[in-house]
Amino acid sequence: MKEGFRQSMAWLHTWSGLLVGWVLFLVFCAGTASYFKDEITFWMKPELHQAASEPVTPVLAAERSVAFLQQRGPDAQRWFISLPTAREPMVRMFWNPKPKPLPPGAERPRRGRFENAALDPATGQPAEAARETRGGEFLYRLHYDLHYMPALWARWIVGFCAMFMLVAIVSGIVTHKRIFKDFFTFRPRKGQRSWLDAHNATAVLALPYHLMITYTGIVTLMFMYMPWGPQVAYKGDEKTFNAEVFPSGGNRNAKAAGTPAPLVAVGPLMARAQAHWGEGSRVGRLEVMHPNDANAVVTISRQSGQDLSSIQPSMTFNGVTGELIATAGDTAGAAVETRGVLYGLHLAHFSSGLLRALFFLSGLAGCVMVATGLLLWGVKERQKFAKALKQGGRVSFGLRLVDGLNVAAIAGLPIAFATYFWANRLLPVGIAGRPQEEITCFFAAWGVAAVAGLAWPARRMWQIQLWLGAALFALVPLVNALTGPGNLGMAISRGLWSVAGFDLVCVGLGLALAAAAWWVGKRKPSPARPRAAAVTPGGSQMEAAR
Amino acid sequence: MSGPIVGGLAALASALGGFFALGLAMDRHYEDSFGRGSSAGRKARWLQAGGALGLVLSLVVCSGLRGAAQGAVLWCGVMTASAIVVALMLSYAPRHSARVLAATSTVAVMALAMRWLS
Repeated sequence: MKEGFRQSMAWLHTWSGLLVGWVLFLVFCAGTASYFKDEITFWMKPELHQAASEPVTPVLAAERSVAFLQQRGPDAQRWFISLPTAREPMVRMFWNPKPKPLPPGAERPRRGRFENAALDPATGQPAEAARETRGGEFLYRLHYDLHYMPALWARWIVGFCAMFMLVAIVSGIVTHKRIFKDFFTFRPRKGQRSWLDAHNATAVLALPYHLMITYTGIVTLMFMYMPWGPQVAYKGDEKTFNAEVFPSGGNRNAKAAGTPAPLVAVGPLMARAQAHWGEGSRVGRLEVMHPNDANAVVTISRQSGQDLSSIQPSMTFNGVTGELIATAGDTAGAAVETRGVLYGLHLAHFSSGLLRALFFLSGLAGCVMVATGLLLWGVKERQKFAKALKQGGRVSFGLRLVDGLNVAAIAGLPIAFATYFWANRLLPVGIAGRPQEEITCFFAAWGVAAVAGLAWPARRMWQIQLWLGAALFALVPLVNALTGPGNLGMAISRGLWSVAGFDLVCVGLGLALAAAAWWVGKRKPSPARPRAAAVTPGGSQMEAAR
Repeated sequence: MSGPIVGGLAALASALGGFFALGLAMDRHYEDSFGRGSSAGRKARWLQAGGALGLVLSLVVCSGLRGAAQGAVLWCGVMTASAIVVALMLSYAPRHSARVLAATSTVAVMALAMRWLS
């Protein structure tokens, strides 16, 4: 063992990155898209684009939703009302209706069923004509719950990969000898050198983001990965732990009295909450337990987005008299606040559009970093076979497998994303299980791309798949214009920035993929190395993402 | 002109100009930009000082825009975005870097003046 520290770190970096790289690429892509999950969902419900709702005061919006819920679910156990924000013009409501008496012998479902609705706050009318879709929520869930498997397993898998990622980042920093000397260095058209430069640049220039997002990603699920601290401190009493760490103010398990009583007006309660939190604060959410019952409880939470923490203070009122029962989260303990900030950094529910756009950009840099890292392994490994290839030999099974998986992940995943958006607009509205059908399209497209990539991992396959992804993304605005209420120009002129932005970002991604595809096609494999350069697609993919 | 747009522009332009100056202070990029054999020499110190100043100004603007906590996060994002632009410029169009440095610095000074003097 005469290896130096740096060599052993390089070994660690190579293998910790390669083994989980494909999962990480999926997590990075879906996670990056999730910064705009509300906008994606809005784009995927073109029926709502027409209802350009006039902004109304939060109190009016809240009162209209309460009036709506009084009609639709007056005897529900709980109402949840999310008030409109700059990103989400609709009021979102969830409620769980009173369970119906069960037929004898039937088993009670483990989780209560929730109903939901969206309300246009300007008119007080429900926007129920909107098609059913999981929207951006699917991509958000995909990045830590994966799909087609129990969420618990998925979270262990993703957490395991994230841990490897953290190892890869730290060992990568140690391995990189010239962080500051090569800070701005990118040498195009130099083969392996260019790949390494691209990998280094996307890693170093967005390093604060990569470290933060990986670490906070693990922290979001820390109570699942490492439950022992709280278990010991609270002697296994999970309820007390949850009540202390995630205070909700008031007892969530309070029973209904069974005697009806009129619900208090929410407007004055919201005014009191805003006065308590101080200048500039807005109400984000209302929760009503046992509405129209003598034991009704109203909880009002502040809107997030102004600070870093994901934990927002809330106030709880008696739902009949309007008397203040409790306040929560005004002064969080150090540990709770730390977790709240780490969680908030990961979710990035910031109200500033610039801030979220920069997170998106850094996320794309992360995708490119993972992709170039995976490709770099293939480029290096291929050199070992240079001689054999010259004599018409073949590369090893491992290299062929990595090449195939690279095509499947890096070129195939964009196709799957674009297909998901196309399916949202092209599947007939109103078919049964439409949300699941859209998701099936996502995985079907990805599956075909993956099988094709694994079967024939060659330069030609890279070209085909990258061009396909480019075309699908670049034509998204056309699909929107043909199947939605208006085209890109109209969206811009009417100030529908979430729709216009979605279209423009898709065009940008399409152009980036096209540049990558063009780059792959441009470089003819030299006769000396017929297949050596076969699997090295666009370095332009990195500019692409920028 | 409202605050956030000018402020965002000021933060981005200062960081962009700052990184350009820091890049040009490095011999390799200076050679690429001004021809083989040329060297920043004593100008390098000034470029480095100016570059550092640009980054600090960007941080100040970011904190003013979003408060200390979110401002620091914003600053990291702004630096990442501008460093990527500078790296691409220095690789693909080094000949233009002097003009781009001048242009971004002018924009930065104007935006900062609009933000703090008006």
